[in-house]
Amino acid sequence: MLELKNVHTYYGNIHALKGISLTVNEGEIVTLIGSNGAGKTTTLRTIQGLLRPREGTILLNGEALEKLAPHVIVQRGISQSPEGRLIFSNMTVRENLEMGAYQRNDKDGITRDMEYVYTLFPRLRERMTQRGGTLSGGEQQMLSMGRALMARPRIMLLDEPSMGLAPILVDQIFEIIKTLNKEGTTILLVEQNARLALSIAHRGYVLETGEIVLTGEGRSLLDNPEVKAAYLGERAH
Amino acid sequence: MKKQLFRGTELLAIVLSAFLALVMGRWSIIVIAATGGALVGLAQDRASGGWKRALQIGLIMSAATVLMGWFHNNVLQLLPVQETINASARSLLTYVGAMAIGVFTSVAIAWLRCLENQKAGRIGQLAILAAYAIAFPFFDAVTGSVWMATIIVCLIYAMQAQGLNIVAGFSGMLDLGYVAFFAIGGYTVALMNSEFAGRHMPFMLIIWIAAAAAALFGLLLGAPVIPLRGDYLAIVTLGFGEIVPIAFKNLEAIRINEPISAIIAWLSGKGAETVTCLIGCGDTPYNLTNGTQGISPIGSPGESFVVGNYTPWYFLILAMVVISVFLIHQLRHSRIGRAMVAMREDELAASAMGVPVTRIKLTAFMIGAMFSGFAGAFYGSYVSFISPDAFDFSISVIVLCMVILGGSGSIIGVLMGALVVKIIDLLVLDKLQVIINGIMHVTVFKWNTNPGLNNFLESLLNMTQYKLLLFGLILVIMMITRPQGLVPASVAKYPEGK
Repeated sequence: MLELKNVHTYYGNIHALKGISLTVNEGEIVTLIGSNGAGKTTTLRTIQGLLRPREGTILLNGEALEKLAPHVIVQRGISQSPEGRLIFSNMTVRENLEMGAYQRNDKDGITRDMEYVYTLFPRLRERMTQRGGTLSGGEQQMLSMGRALMARPRIMLLDEPSMGLAPILVDQIFEIIKTLNKEGTTILLVEQNARLALSIAHRGYVLETGEIVLTGEGRSLLDNPEVKAAYLGERAH
Repeated sequence: MKKQLFRGTELLAIVLSAFLALVMGRWSIIVIAATGGALVGLAQDRASGGWKRALQIGLIMSAATVLMGWFHNNVLQLLPVQETINASARSLLTYVGAMAIGVFTSVAIAWLRCLENQKAGRIGQLAILAAYAIAFPFFDAVTGSVWMATIIVCLIYAMQAQGLNIVAGFSGMLDLGYVAFFAIGGYTVALMNSEFAGRHMPFMLIIWIAAAAAALFGLLLGAPVIPLRGDYLAIVTLGFGEIVPIAFKNLEAIRINEPISAIIAWLSGKGAETVTCLIGCGDTPYNLTNGTQGISPIGSPGESFVVGNYTPWYFLILAMVVISVFLIHQLRHSRIGRAMVAMREDELAASAMGVPVTRIKLTAFMIGAMFSGFAGAFYGSYVSFISPDAFDFSISVIVLCMVILGGSGSIIGVLMGALVVKIIDLLVLDKLQVIINGIMHVTVFKWNTNPGLNNFLESLLNMTQYKLLLFGLILVIMMITRPQGLVPASVAKYPEGK
């Protein structure tokens, strides 16, 4: 469904992505794990069109995305819950969700999807008329995911949904990610919490300083001694 | 936290009304009480206690206004060199009128804001404000307070501030050259309807041409600089604001040669006689803007629009402001308006949500310029004289002050901000000057017999020359104590359960 082929992205002269190639198939949860500065967020921003790759192609169902503007890419069916959530703090929860549907015109569909988001995250319904900035961290993460869902994405990019959340909230969020996937949304998940991410993912990629060093099924990566040593904090036997 | 915020507005309403009443006195306390009442009313919602709280605060506000008015009329009046007050302006009727209208406005607006039926409430509030606006010219005529000319200027600025609010308030782009579009509007009307230009087009057509011209220049300026952020955008717009009046100053001797023939003449070394001239070919070059002397007179919009008769001008600009406010309100709650606000909140997130950031910024810039163009066209007709000096940098600054003081992004706040700033500028400072002068006469001037020193002190304490200093000071104080402005931009409200 989504395919990156040899993507190189730069920040000025800094070579951030050194030829990333990955695929996400329809209906999958694919996770991208790696330490700080490995290029996980850069990869997501490049897919979304917020950064331009200098080399390589990004294909969504065969269509090249790398020359398209971000808003066109959203139209094509890619939306994301960005790193640090980046919700609109002076807009109400409801307005935030409406912003997610910015590229859509089907009023009925938007109303239905908003209802769906409220069912998924009942807390958001309670907080509907509150300003986004007054929400707790977990609620903001829910809002950020709900906002991304409002674009009715074919593939949803999640950037560190567990960041800064209490363990119980992290479990909740990951349950919801699983539910979303079962209901048909393809997900590309970027995480530092490698164990959790790999336990729900069908497949995973390990990113190190801008390059993919390892790939495999979620389960098998969990058992991989290198991954265990580097990302799961377990000593290799 | 919300309650705390609104307490600030109430306090501001009381202090502002009392201060203005102290300085202005006379009949004006009725107008001041009405405005203060509107502010008190606007500060209420169901959570704050509704009309009951408005009644208390309104009473305090009106009482303070009346008391200060009385003090002005009876105590300050005893000072030397004061203007005389006619008896009716200090009669019981004035005080009772101010008290009644202050309390009524507070309570009525607060009550309407808390109505179950929000739409009816909103219409009711607008009806009250409309009634005051329509009654004002008659009030002015009856009391002989000769404020009309000033209020018309205030409304011109209010219109500009509304336009800038789209750019700076909604979209968060700092535009320091907003006066450029005002100048373009003004010169458009001068070139379309004056003896100088030899054209007389109807006003209702010209304002659209002026707005279109301003929007076009907004697009031309915006397209290359919009990708710039923050400070850079401010500097470029600042430059544009300086360039446009200078360009109008210099467009008085235009002679344009056809370039190819000019190059051939230069290459072949022949004289100027072989050059084909396109524009300004006679003995005198083409004069588009009449340079520093400016263009005067500019035709008026209609027969009743004569010098000295302010009422038709007042209603014309009032209608223009009301329509602008309505349109801008619609814009704010449209898809584009929401995108502007989202962009101000977080550009990256907005972009990731599918907002075409550059296009939205350009749209904001153009629409903002358009409203300044409208204002400029009216201004040109109203003063019937346009010159480059009228479009000083300080206008950009004052309009920006109005937006920030009123409350960035808040339509009603910016309207209030514009009126307050311009009224202080044009009416209050003069009156304050008279009072300070009076106080000096009974104190320092009495004791000190050196006339040179007295003259020096008198000119030193001339309030009007401290205008910009005072605005700067007010701005600093506001930024520290109340950064969200006079009437903060409210969060969009939705009916429960929808």
